[in-house]
Amino acid sequence: MTECGTPPSGAERPGEPNLSCEEALARVYEYLDGELGAAEHDAVRRHLAKCRNCYPHFDFERLFLDYIHELGAGEKAKPELEDRVREMLAAETD
Amino acid sequence: MSILAERRRAEFEDEALIHLDALFGLALRLSGGDEPRAEDLVQETMLKAYRAWDRFEAGTNCRAWLMTILRNTFINQFRKQKSRPVPVEFDQVAERPASDALYEADPAGRIFDHIIDDQVISAIDELPEEFRVAVVLSDLEGLSYQEVAELMDIPVGTVKSRLFRARKRLQGRLYEYAVEMGYVK
Repeated sequence: MTECGTPPSGAERPGEPNLSCEEALARVYEYLDGELGAAEHDAVRRHLAKCRNCYPHFDFERLFLDYIHELGAGEKAKPELEDRVREMLAAETD
Repeated sequence: MSILAERRRAEFEDEALIHLDALFGLALRLSGGDEPRAEDLVQETMLKAYRAWDRFEAGTNCRAWLMTILRNTFINQFRKQKSRPVPVEFDQVAERPASDALYEADPAGRIFDHIIDDQVISAIDELPEEFRVAVVLSDLEGLSYQEVAELMDIPVGTVKSRLFRARKRLQGRLYEYAVEMGYVK
């Protein structure tokens, strides 16, 4: 894990936690996957707004996830598979 | 064979067969690139869908309905296999710890524009099944952690850790490819 060294800063907004870089990076996937609760999501977002070290790392992980997501399409089933499915459906209809 | 049954079959074929490639693609990734297994999975899915065709609401998303049947069919098989010996997990195979080597070598992620997709697909296929299924459901199919957890019958925390480790493993493979291609040093 990359250490970017930003300590939790002072309480800019009383009652809202400020995350360290380590804490923010530990949540990178949950943040990008939209799996954090509103308060935690906001805490990460506020950290990214002011952390020059973490922001590129999050950007990189976003590119990576976007790339993986795009991989799903493009497979082609063999024509024989469609033939077999049609035969199976015909047999099932009899 | 009645005209009604024949019409029902024609209607099913019109609606469902156009999704065969998408179903096969999902089946192939879930089964780790095993084509015969993927084809069996698609056939079983089609048969179940055909038998349940009267319960499909016309006008709703047929592709999503078929993909759900395929996922559930795969997961039922997957859960049955769980009674087998514990699968080999990352801990048990010689592997470097999760690293950020790729990020450090290529922080702008330019590699994603240059890598050959087939290499990354192979890397996904080679993941241990418990990890591969989590990645396919989450990253290729876009399911939430909760949905993956329910399907795989594991806690949400386990989904998170599997995704983390699987994604880092994939990045490790991408890094190796990038080095092989001379893209990074």
